[in-house]
Amino acid sequence: MASNSGSEDELLESLRNPHTEKLDQRAKELREREEAQTQKAAQRLRELISSNSTLPVTISSIRLIGSGPQHTRRSFLDGLFAPILSANRGSSYKLSEALQEAGAVADKLRRFDIYHDVSMFVDKPDPTDPSSTPTDIDIWLQARERGRINLKTGTDIGNVEGSAYGNLLWRNIFGGAESLSLNASKGTRTRSSYQAVFDAPILSDPDKRITLDALASSTYKPWASHEEVLKGAGVKYSWATKSGTRHQVGYTGAWRQTTNLAADASPTVRNDAGDSVKSSITHTWTADRRDHPLLPSRGYLLKTVSEIAGWGPLRGDVAFWKSEVETAAAMPISNGVSFTTGLRAGVLYPLPVGFGGPAQPSRIHDRFQLGGPTDIRGFNIGGLGPRDGRDSVGGDVYAAASANLLIPFPRVAKDTPLRLQLFANGGRLLALKDTSSSDVYKTIAQLADGLPSLAAGVGVVYAHPVARFELNFSLPLVMRRGEDARKGLQFGVGINFL
Amino acid sequence: MPPNKIPDNKDEAPPPAQSSFSQQTSKVRNFFSIPAPVKTLFDKVPVLTYPSNELPQRAPKPARIPSLYVFIKEEDAAAGRPSYNPSCLKWQAFLNIAGVNHRLVPSSNHASPTGVLPFLLPAANSSNSPQETSAPIISNKLIKYAEKLGKTVVETSSMRYEAYQSLIDHRIRSAWLYTLYLEPLNFSAVAYQLYVSPNSSNPLVRASISHQLRSAAEAELLKHTSIIDTDDLYSEADKAFEALSILLGGDSWFFGCSTPTLFDASIFAYTQLLLDDELGWKEKKLCRALRRRANLVQHRERLLVKYFGGS
Repeated sequence: MASNSGSEDELLESLRNPHTEKLDQRAKELREREEAQTQKAAQRLRELISSNSTLPVTISSIRLIGSGPQHTRRSFLDGLFAPILSANRGSSYKLSEALQEAGAVADKLRRFDIYHDVSMFVDKPDPTDPSSTPTDIDIWLQARERGRINLKTGTDIGNVEGSAYGNLLWRNIFGGAESLSLNASKGTRTRSSYQAVFDAPILSDPDKRITLDALASSTYKPWASHEEVLKGAGVKYSWATKSGTRHQVGYTGAWRQTTNLAADASPTVRNDAGDSVKSSITHTWTADRRDHPLLPSRGYLLKTVSEIAGWGPLRGDVAFWKSEVETAAAMPISNGVSFTTGLRAGVLYPLPVGFGGPAQPSRIHDRFQLGGPTDIRGFNIGGLGPRDGRDSVGGDVYAAASANLLIPFPRVAKDTPLRLQLFANGGRLLALKDTSSSDVYKTIAQLADGLPSLAAGVGVVYAHPVARFELNFSLPLVMRRGEDARKGLQFGVGINFL
Repeated sequence: MPPNKIPDNKDEAPPPAQSSFSQQTSKVRNFFSIPAPVKTLFDKVPVLTYPSNELPQRAPKPARIPSLYVFIKEEDAAAGRPSYNPSCLKWQAFLNIAGVNHRLVPSSNHASPTGVLPFLLPAANSSNSPQETSAPIISNKLIKYAEKLGKTVVETSSMRYEAYQSLIDHRIRSAWLYTLYLEPLNFSAVAYQLYVSPNSSNPLVRASISHQLRSAAEAELLKHTSIIDTDDLYSEADKAFEALSILLGGDSWFFGCSTPTLFDASIFAYTQLLLDDELGWKEKKLCRALRRRANLVQHRERLLVKYFGGS
């Protein structure tokens, strides 16, 4: 009896002072057991699938179960689902193939950005159904549509630029994942900008997109003492190849005005003041095989941009052929230390407007600018190349390269996107003196005259999910007279660093 | 910034305190200035400086004489012929009369610091470093500029001067704006060729600029009246020409001066353009009103021959 009452006391005692450690322990055990169970289930499923991977199956139906209002068109989904239905393929799948195909469809569905989360189930149809065959499986996709209207306002702070913006996004307009985005912003450098972009996938393929856009903006360019007022519209078509590279072809028409010149604007900028219309076709090709776009430690990027303006039926007021190449490579060394390098080059080849006639010398809008915290560190924005007075008037031919050694921060985990960097970067930007082809080749050859303008330094890099931040201390080593170098600290924000 | 000198009345303060105070102030100053070792490092770079990069092809060649930015065709600029814009022509004529040697640069209002042409860019001074660009001189500073160069600028001090100047600046200018921009025939034959087509070859841009020009002219006219009365505009201009013709009488230049003045330049700015057949006027009411005043026509000829080589 005594012992009994003793155990009762114990029980009461334990109720009064619950052992939190014990409870935690129990919860942990429960979690672990659940995890082990799901793992085991997954394992079992994997085994089941792998042991049956060659089992012949036919996909008899794919159903999308949505919750909430449904706006997506049946014909749009048919375009996505029909190709993998066995009835349309004429042959049966192995189980593993069928699951892979269905997974690819679910993945495509996710990439249209019209559903919140897409999950997939596989089921056997009711054998009593007379229309089913023993090999049939049904695919069920569960997804919830995202809100169709999204309104966003906010402020941005970038490279010596602050701005406020408003954005309206209208998703899935006609039920085929079409979207319209209206954007308005006002800032210190981009004085005002209004943009409308309509984007639609073609043939229910998230990798084939057509984009129509219209833009009206006014941008202050202090490095060349003027404001650029731009009104333009364009159409672009982009697609991805099987090997994972991306192409984009587009037409752009833009009316540019060089206006509101500063009191001390140089004669070169004054001469280019006024209106010009650019009518051009651009092709961009990108192969990005880096492990992280902002702070890569392995892989490479290759990108080419080609543009033809004004020539032949394109007309307009300016004519040129412009080619740019951008490469970047990253390689790990050891202990989280990595080495990255980048190379960019470009050339603007003057052409006649329309059919025949004299070639047009380039204008300030179309020429390249080089320098600044996101390309050649240690120089101010537009700090390299030809200068008239204080104005950076741009050049027609350029080459730039950089080498960076990224070292993990001491006492900070290696997976934190924070690095110390040692860098050296340099480049040249040259202008053509006439429009002849011999002058273009001569100027390209001139890139190698002497050492390039160079700067080196040390800094801190932080890769935030949306942008990369850098704070560097740099010193110019080699430069041309008049070039605008920056000695000391420099802060950079961007998504595309050299 | 804290004073680095101790005021006189604190002279009796013990020397150690003084030195610690000055030490403190120098510390504060040093915090904001570049530390000495970094400064010496900064002075050592860049290690190598090459000559400057060459300018692009469209950059203007440096000139030893000042450049006057005006509305003018490329070939007319090279030949020093009159501009097709009255305000530009007024100051072009003034500089020619004052004997200020200059070159003409075809340009547009976008290039001007005030938003309107003309303006003068002084010659690149050899003493200036290439880093500096001299500031442009806007039109109402040109008299002072000419005087500074030691040119004789004859100024009429007549009481009536301002009254007659306002005849040109209001009556004649209003009729000019109407006849050039708002007479549809003249707009397409004259204004479109001069002010619209040189800007761009694109039809949409041209339509937009045409619209802007016409509505700006209309807004300018509506500043002075509530409705635009065509007959009234022309008859007022006719009266103004009559008054100016009487004022000139048999003299060579206005107000009996022995050499032309800015007033002669400002009337020439309109008479030259209205009497220039090459512009191709279609609606000639204003031109006819001027042609009836023979002495004004001769005045224009006289200036054209003497200061524009008769072109």
